[in-house]
Amino acid sequence: MGIRRFRTIYIIISILLFSTVLFPMFTIGNKAYPIIVGIPYSFFWVILWILITFFTVLILYFLDPDKEEA
Amino acid sequence: MEHWQISMFIMVLYLAIALIVGVLAGRGTNKASLEEFTTAGRGLGLFLTWFLMGGAIFSAFSFLGAPGWAFTRGAPAFYILAYLAFSLLPWYILGPKIGRIGRKFNLYSLVGFIQTRFQSKPLGILVGFIAFFACIQYLATQLRGMAIIFNIMTDGRIAFWFGALIAYAIVVTYVATGGLRAAAWSDVFQGALMIIVSWVIGITIVKKMHGTTSEMFSKIAASNPDFLRIGAEGSTMSATAFTSVILVSVIGFLMWPHMFARSYSSNALTIKKTVLAYPLFALLIIPLLLAGFAAVGIVEVSAVGESDQILPYLITTFLSLPGWLYGLVGAAALAAAMSSADVITHSASMEFTDGVIKNIFPNLSDKQTLLIMRSAVVVIGALAYCIAVFGGQGVVALLLGAYGSIIQFTPGVLSALYWRRVTSKGVFTGIVVGFAVNFYYQMFATSTPFEIHPGLIGLLANTVVMIGVSYVTKPNTNSVIESYVDDRKVITLTDEKNTKPDISVDTY
Repeated sequence: MGIRRFRTIYIIISILLFSTVLFPMFTIGNKAYPIIVGIPYSFFWVILWILITFFTVLILYFLDPDKEEA
Repeated sequence: MEHWQISMFIMVLYLAIALIVGVLAGRGTNKASLEEFTTAGRGLGLFLTWFLMGGAIFSAFSFLGAPGWAFTRGAPAFYILAYLAFSLLPWYILGPKIGRIGRKFNLYSLVGFIQTRFQSKPLGILVGFIAFFACIQYLATQLRGMAIIFNIMTDGRIAFWFGALIAYAIVVTYVATGGLRAAAWSDVFQGALMIIVSWVIGITIVKKMHGTTSEMFSKIAASNPDFLRIGAEGSTMSATAFTSVILVSVIGFLMWPHMFARSYSSNALTIKKTVLAYPLFALLIIPLLLAGFAAVGIVEVSAVGESDQILPYLITTFLSLPGWLYGLVGAAALAAAMSSADVITHSASMEFTDGVIKNIFPNLSDKQTLLIMRSAVVVIGALAYCIAVFGGQGVVALLLGAYGSIIQFTPGVLSALYWRRVTSKGVFTGIVVGFAVNFYYQMFATSTPFEIHPGLIGLLANTVVMIGVSYVTKPNTNSVIESYVDDRKVITLTDEKNTKPDISVDTY
């Protein structure tokens, strides 16, 4: 994968991930019930997407063709 | 000894340790070196960078503002989590590029970055002023936070104004003597303290007051489910307000001058690894939100005074924990406020000196410049003190206000990096208009359209004006544009020509 192509993919994926905590996407998570693992659904939704973001960026990092640069 | 005496003793002990760590870290390096004071010799490793970032997550804002919002507003407090987690993602792309440019031109400030690209003195002065202004507001949130801690943790024996004064004195001593390296090493120590204390305290409060988080949230949801939602009838914040507050914070985050300093002093690999870890750092503040939720329906808002005070209030008044424990919490919260305060004070003095002073008095020696930078620290602290003591705004509101100004650099910085056709006049008018619009809506208007954050409205005006003016003004032509927009190409060229920067416009 080229540097430019990776950059485009990275930007698109970050925007998609970020949009999950913004309206209108957040509408899906915007509920008090059910209470999952001890926290309301809305709270759970935000934490879930933060975790998904962490793992996605981790994968992206390994695919990054440009990280060896000093 | 009484509780408040023990807690004060622990806080003083902490302050002493922090100062010793800072001063020791500053020793052994040439104190008079301007280069050392500004970017710590450009060699901060991954370990230091992580803790600097961790220190940035915990501030007076997350320690006091986050529980305060959870307590009085409910679900809108999730904005803090969301913005902390996502704010660093663009740095993966922008950071290494800014870093390469910074090292090529020997930059150490945001002003330097803008001015080298656009070669315009008025623009440098403008950026210097706005950065100075925004940093002071930011610093005020931290001083306010420290004053609240001193006040409540000693059962009101240290008055608010006096607490803020102590905080001010500490920050100034710290920054003026140590520079960035001192800040970095102290953050290593402070990072550990903050993480441990916030988790222990958050879990203890929920356990003592409710048993489990399930029971706690069931009670809250049963009495008012809309409290845990955004934009519903009984919610405290509308959907557009929530979205725009997150947007302003995420877009503005990378425009803070200290983020530029970080980009210059870290290599691409360090930057990328930091971005990687940051969403997890954000999760560290969860227990602080839980502590705020624990008070909902149990503590009356009027009994606390201000929402920012809920965490210390719970610890001292409601839970009656032992004095040493709340001293420790006080120390951690002070650490949180101080680590952010010293970084921001440092960059405020740098931007002001670089942008305003150096452009008006271009013939200063290095020694004079360093002296001005250190005196600026004193003035900045004093102004922030006034805002903290007389401003009467909450910690979250103060910080959001600061973001409204800092976000106005975004269009200029992005086009400096990617858009050749942008002109210095375009950037200048854009920033002026954006700042004015933001200022109007923050200070004079009673409401904004659709409850959008003032900074975001300013940003829109700013972008439109910048693009419009750029197209009607003559394109800038100089070789710097290429070395910004297509920075990689020039790096190989300069490498062959030895390491000297190829442009001499920049005299820092």
